[in-house]
Amino acid sequence: MEQAGHLVVAGFPLALDRRYHVGTHMWVLLSEPGQARIGMDPLGIETSGTLAELSFVPVGTELIAGRPFGQLEAAKFVGPLVSPVSGIVLAVNDAAAIDAALTVRDPYGAGWLIEVSLSDAAGELPALLADPDEITTWFAAKIADYRRMGVIAQ
Amino acid sequence: MSGAWRLLVDDGVGAAEGLALDEALMGRYARGEPDCPPTLRLYSYRSHCALVGRYQNLAAEVDLAACRRTGTQVSRRLTGGGAIVMGSGQLGVAYVDRAPAGERPREIIEKLSAAIAAGLAQLGIAATFRGKNDLEVGGRKIAGLGLYVDPADAMLFHASVLGDLDVEFMLEVLRIPAAKLADRAAAAVTERLTTVSAETGNRHDAEMLRAAIAGGFAVSFGVTLEPGVADQTELAQADVLAAGRYRSQSWLSVRSVAEDASGSAVLKTPAGLARIYLTTHGDLVKSAMVAGDFNELPPAIVAMEAGLRWRRLTDDAIAAVVAGSGAADALGVPAERIASAVLEAGRQAGRSASPEPTGAAGPPEVPEPS
Repeated sequence: MEQAGHLVVAGFPLALDRRYHVGTHMWVLLSEPGQARIGMDPLGIETSGTLAELSFVPVGTELIAGRPFGQLEAAKFVGPLVSPVSGIVLAVNDAAAIDAALTVRDPYGAGWLIEVSLSDAAGELPALLADPDEITTWFAAKIADYRRMGVIAQ
Repeated sequence: MSGAWRLLVDDGVGAAEGLALDEALMGRYARGEPDCPPTLRLYSYRSHCALVGRYQNLAAEVDLAACRRTGTQVSRRLTGGGAIVMGSGQLGVAYVDRAPAGERPREIIEKLSAAIAAGLAQLGIAATFRGKNDLEVGGRKIAGLGLYVDPADAMLFHASVLGDLDVEFMLEVLRIPAAKLADRAAAAVTERLTTVSAETGNRHDAEMLRAAIAGGFAVSFGVTLEPGVADQTELAQADVLAAGRYRSQSWLSVRSVAEDASGSAVLKTPAGLARIYLTTHGDLVKSAMVAGDFNELPPAIVAMEAGLRWRRLTDDAIAAVVAGSGAADALGVPAERIASAVLEAGRQAGRSASPEPTGAAGPPEVPEPS
């Protein structure tokens, strides 16, 4: 799963060009002014169980931070994809909805989930991890935690 | 976690009613509701009910004609996982709470599974959470597990604990690969599943099993369990859900983007021909079974089957599972040839058409509204 341009932390790729919501393992990559692409980092994918299917709300749906923008089905889990930001859904990744393995193979690239027009960037983005050192420290600590708990492979 | 949880106990529930009450219990744990302790429901279904996982194709997993013939009710769970038969011999476990903030699904499943394992330990059964999918004893599944979190952050953990199991009946109503083995079908199942009865050598005692599982949760979480009842709001919501969801054709007919499919491949071994059966969902292996002329199913084969479940059908992933299982030594065949046969079975599944004929099956057995 290693990808060019990404750091690899204890076996998991980590992209440092974006922000992270630590509770949900969602990443937010600012694109056009006021717009962002959202995806799930590989730790979030791995700790959901083997990913089987993804589904998304329709384009145009108003999102609220902390509320679902879709649903994830894994081997033993069905649950919401939780948005780290508020806004309007501009696009969903139909390719990932058809083939969830795309998100497993390329979580930071072709496996993105939705694109959003942000409605409260100034209020919500500061709550996300953005500093590369802080991101790396958090990511490494979560890997260690999950391995200690036995929820990801050693 | 400490304090007192609500314990609900009921028996002989119908397929739709049982699932509807589980979902109705989630209401008090939705975001915005006042905090309240978790609910643990330990219950059994009427004999018998066939319950499929959230996104399974009902007609592909369940022989609907056999269900009509045997009076078996069918419905679909909120949780994922495979098709199961429930009845007086199986204990249903529903744990309902608000989803803990910041905890990942695998963490939650692992913790709750440990409570069930602790309960089984009280009966002298050493169950482990192998493969992150099911509770097993010596490589044989003894409980299936599933977790659902709704959009309002309420959480339902489901488990089915096999107190006892009528394997012949299960083969009659579920479409599982072992059923293709004719005279060896029952043996193939019992080589891969076990029950509390089989492990303890005692007749199934539903109350003893229920008490043990309750004890496992109490000890694991340091809580007391206070017998309670569903309140009027929950019962009314359960009625609505039973009629509007769990008995409805639209819910029973849910299909997923990727269809389940099955395929098989032959593997030549020094002892004769073996056949590898796979059930797949897109590029995922949902189940694997190796059939051959074994006097006794080698543990390495059971390990390989368990390892293949929920793996992606990629060369590297399959090769790693096969190599790590010891199946090559057990079968006397190079690991590369075994992996190649697994991938061929997967390719055959990918080429297969619609999983099972559905047109002639007719409507499933659904309970009449009360």
